[in-house]
Amino acid sequence: MALITDRAKWDTPTILRASFVFGLIYTFLVGVSSLESGIKVMGADTQESLFASVSNPIAGLFIGILGTVLVQSSSASTSIIVGLVGTGALGVGDAVPMVMGANIGTTVTNTLVALAHMRQSEEFKRAFAAATVHDFFNLMSVCILLPVEISTGVLSTLAEKISGKLVGSAGSEWKSPIKKWVKEPVSWLKDLGDAIGAKGNILGTFLVIVGLVIILLSLAYITKNMRQLVADRIEASLNKVLGTGAGMVAMVLGLLITISVQSSSITTSIMIPLAAAGVVTLRNIYPVTLGANVGTTITALLAALAASRPEALTVGIVHTLFNVGGIALLYPIPGVRDIPIRAAENLARIAVERRYIAIAYVVIAFIVIPLLGVAVLR
Amino acid sequence: MVMSFFKKSESGLDTIAHRTISMLADARHSFDLASAAVLSGANPESVAQDIRTTDEHINQAEQTLRGELVTHVAVHGTTEIGSVLSYTLLIKKIERIGDQAKNILDLAEEGVSLVDEEDISELNEIRRIISSMFAEAADLMAETTTEQAREFYDRATELRHSIENKIRDYMHSEEPGYHAVPRAVLYRYWKRIVSNLAGVVTGVAEPLQKQGYIDDGETDLDD
Repeated sequence: MALITDRAKWDTPTILRASFVFGLIYTFLVGVSSLESGIKVMGADTQESLFASVSNPIAGLFIGILGTVLVQSSSASTSIIVGLVGTGALGVGDAVPMVMGANIGTTVTNTLVALAHMRQSEEFKRAFAAATVHDFFNLMSVCILLPVEISTGVLSTLAEKISGKLVGSAGSEWKSPIKKWVKEPVSWLKDLGDAIGAKGNILGTFLVIVGLVIILLSLAYITKNMRQLVADRIEASLNKVLGTGAGMVAMVLGLLITISVQSSSITTSIMIPLAAAGVVTLRNIYPVTLGANVGTTITALLAALAASRPEALTVGIVHTLFNVGGIALLYPIPGVRDIPIRAAENLARIAVERRYIAIAYVVIAFIVIPLLGVAVLR
Repeated sequence: MVMSFFKKSESGLDTIAHRTISMLADARHSFDLASAAVLSGANPESVAQDIRTTDEHINQAEQTLRGELVTHVAVHGTTEIGSVLSYTLLIKKIERIGDQAKNILDLAEEGVSLVDEEDISELNEIRRIISSMFAEAADLMAETTTEQAREFYDRATELRHSIENKIRDYMHSEEPGYHAVPRAVLYRYWKRIVSNLAGVVTGVAEPLQKQGYIDDGETDLDD
């Protein structure tokens, strides 16, 4: 083995992989459209009973957390929410808390990655703090912006104005060009449903399930292939940016990596072994995580392109505004900026002394509380 | 800085390989200067700063490369874990060479100068051979086959044995201490440098499990 020349190995050509990714994005949009068609096929009563439980914003928040923990991807869960809003059955007001919940739910992935370092105290302390700084920041954002949104509707109003300018006002039908491109495959799925004798709610359920499977699988493969495509760029940029400091540059890097791989979980999880090994500090990781929060909103915006109502895009924009707003509120003032860092460091200190607390934290914060919340509030 | 994301990058391990080779060039620079201070009558004070700065540079490079290796695994997963572990061993060996060059400088700073001694041609010849081995090792790191590495290793072993014999001779020598001790110490550092160079090259060619050892574990290259 030579250090440089021998490692050249056969890999899928970039052009082939890039074409595959484009195909997957198309498939993803077909999935969103299929989900929307499935809900539309169901009767109004069924639609109403399906989404009655999310009329309470706190219940919606918990559903967002649970759904995202389940699929381990806020990109997937927010795309599904956008698809549902596109049907008209789920309102923007109900979807916004769910999207915020998705932001909290997505933080579980890197926390689980951090648990893998549990055997080594110091490593674990650094890894757990690096993971939970994301949790605390997102929790703080929700604690501030959800009440503000419920009482004033500032995020949805602003988003509605932006989507109104872009695709038309709420309640109208948006003739999305993407929607036309994905119409044909969705009609094939409908025909397939018809062929197997599915009608009404059964056909709707069939289309919803197929849509969900397509969304989750295509997103997973987009992430996998994009990661392969941009891995060397990610590595080179991380070495350059994180080696020389952090701040806004690191935030932009987090944004770019996440947009590239369509997953904030990938970006934030990459940071955990680096933190564990002491290669980067918690303060350097923090802005990357915030950039990832904004970057992950691109998927919901993409999903909105396949929806037939402007409200779908409104929700996608709310997701972006929420994350940008969180950064604008919490990051510029040093005293406030440090709160998630201090909280994460304190929790990591406690978790290192009593390891079961780390596991209990994950189970209680991401499963028990949301489950109880949904059970009580629905 | 963040625009680097949009530029096509070479593989992370290729970047690390180039920087490892550059570390080896720094180690050679230190070796040449330190040996010159003992053998060519160069003023130790005039080279000391350069050697120490170069050593700091080598140490810094080692730390940076360790971080970059962790980044590589974090981004690419464990597919290239064997290469990553090999690099951690390689860069440690090169870092040691930097330290050993500093040890040779210590000899010069203690007043050891062999420039006017009768065995100076022999000493200079060994220094020349070792110095050229640095360049060879760098070439082999970039592009090598197991046969080339084996051939390099055989020559390094031969040199190592010959140096060991000299050390043994000085240990039992009846020459006065001021004659025997500096030579024994200098040869000892050279032996360690040759071992580390052999380790660097075999590290590139051998499976990870065998690195640092040869002859089925009989010879410990770490010395």
